[in-house]
Amino acid sequence: MPKVFYIQPDGSETVVEAVAGDSVMQTAVRNGVSGIVGQCGGSLSCATCHVFLAEENADDFAPVSEDEDEMLDCAATEREDNSRLSCQLVLADGQEVRVTVPEAQL
Amino acid sequence: MTETTTAGTEFPFAPLPPADAIEHLKRLMADRPMTKTTMPYGGDVWIVHRNQAARTILADRRFVREPFRTGERIVPFFVPFPDFLRTTLQFEDPPQHTKLRKLVQKAISPRRVRDMRASAVAFANELIDGMIARGGVRNLITEYSVPLPIEMLSSLLGVPSADREKFERWSSSTMAVAGKSEDEVATDLAELSAYMTDLIAQRREEPRDDLLSALAHAREKDETLTDAEILPIAFILIVGGFDNTANFLTTGVMSLLHSDEQRELFLTDPDGLAPTAAEEVLRHGGFALGGPVGGGGGLVPFVATEDVVVDGQLIAKGEAVSIDPGSANHDPEAIEDPGRFDITRKDNPHLMLSHGLHHCLGAPLARMEMQVGLAEIFKRIPTLRLAGEPVVRRDVLTQPMTDLPIAW
Ligand code: FES
Repeated sequence: MPKVFYIQPDGSETVVEAVAGDSVMQTAVRNGVSGIVGQCGGSLSCATCHVFLAEENADDFAPVSEDEDEMLDCAATEREDNSRLSCQLVLADGQEVRVTVPEAQL
Repeated sequence: MTETTTAGTEFPFAPLPPADAIEHLKRLMADRPMTKTTMPYGGDVWIVHRNQAARTILADRRFVREPFRTGERIVPFFVPFPDFLRTTLQFEDPPQHTKLRKLVQKAISPRRVRDMRASAVAFANELIDGMIARGGVRNLITEYSVPLPIEMLSSLLGVPSADREKFERWSSSTMAVAGKSEDEVATDLAELSAYMTDLIAQRREEPRDDLLSALAHAREKDETLTDAEILPIAFILIVGGFDNTANFLTTGVMSLLHSDEQRELFLTDPDGLAPTAAEEVLRHGGFALGGPVGGGGGLVPFVATEDVVVDGQLIAKGEAVSIDPGSANHDPEAIEDPGRFDITRKDNPHLMLSHGLHHCLGAPLARMEMQVGLAEIFKRIPTLRLAGEPVVRRDVLTQPMTDLPIAW
């Protein structure tokens, strides 16, 4: 079972047991993790699922696609080197992932 | 014909006092996830009540809109769905939808909208200055709720603000279903098209930093966008951006004026509370006005391309399905104490702006305008009060209020 650690801007942390095949966005939305909105349901057209991916997980996912790159430029909180759209981070069995939620999504 | 199984869970249902409507919705959602309803136009449609079922459907690509766009199917709705709206983005499916949407999205993204906030604050204050200077009883709608979104959308699109009044007329005309004759609507639409076509041509010649320029020049980035593609985008932004935002802003002010407790709370920190207050107005504002609320149809429907089971209910291939935000926004499974108007509510998964591929393209802009609009007027005029009954125009699809007397 994959596990996601969501760190809020104030440093508080929520751990969620996820389902393999779900994205980090879906997992957050299903479990009521605040700060991840995911308005477009993962169709790469809202940028409201922006997260900062922990250094240690940098190589665990496919790199940023061209479409994701464009949408990241639209995010409400300024993007950083480790910015990802969490709907594009699909979880595999046994994976442990840490993401930090940005200050604002909207 | 409507199938109901349990007493007190009828759908549609006639307007009830808000608290009773909430109870009715609660029983309805406990009974079933959706109801098959016959609409005045276009026949049967599954109206989906439960929040999670609604989200599941909105995120599932097996539900499409193509048969409505091509005219193969009539849109099941309260009124004949205006033709010009069927040519817009909301009736496209991927991949065409994806291409168009991405182009517009960049211009109206959360980032871009954040940069527009200061000018929204300035313009809201100009409008408030005007109302204060004129004094007496003012009309919130024409002097505040409508001009604010028009100014913002004009500046986003690149329409000179001197043309605001024309825009307002065209916009309300496009939504008229009985108030204007078909000829009048056609004339207004033709004028709007001609005006926009001219403006697009100008922006092709001399691009500026606005949406029409970006769209007009998108073809150079191998995105071949024609005027015929740009116009419907402009249309949907005009229609969605004027009427809807103005209505939500008015509802927001009114719902705060109706609740002394929530208004007093809001006045303690208007800027800090504006974001959650705006979401709560979207979710529940219509219920917080005190008047009776009914249950009817939903958002623009989809058609199932294959048999899909959602929340235990089979939606057969070819059947239409529509989301009922009124109940989905009051689903006790998704929203704690859904009958309570709470401007501090943090987790607020309402579906007023839809969800999934077709979630409101203008959502970031609409939210920002509501936040700014609510915060500024209450900061400047904390003693704001209602000075009469609102006038509602019932002959228009969106049933906008046209007059809301306020004083202080
Ligand atoms: S959920 Fe919309 S871009 Fe990720």
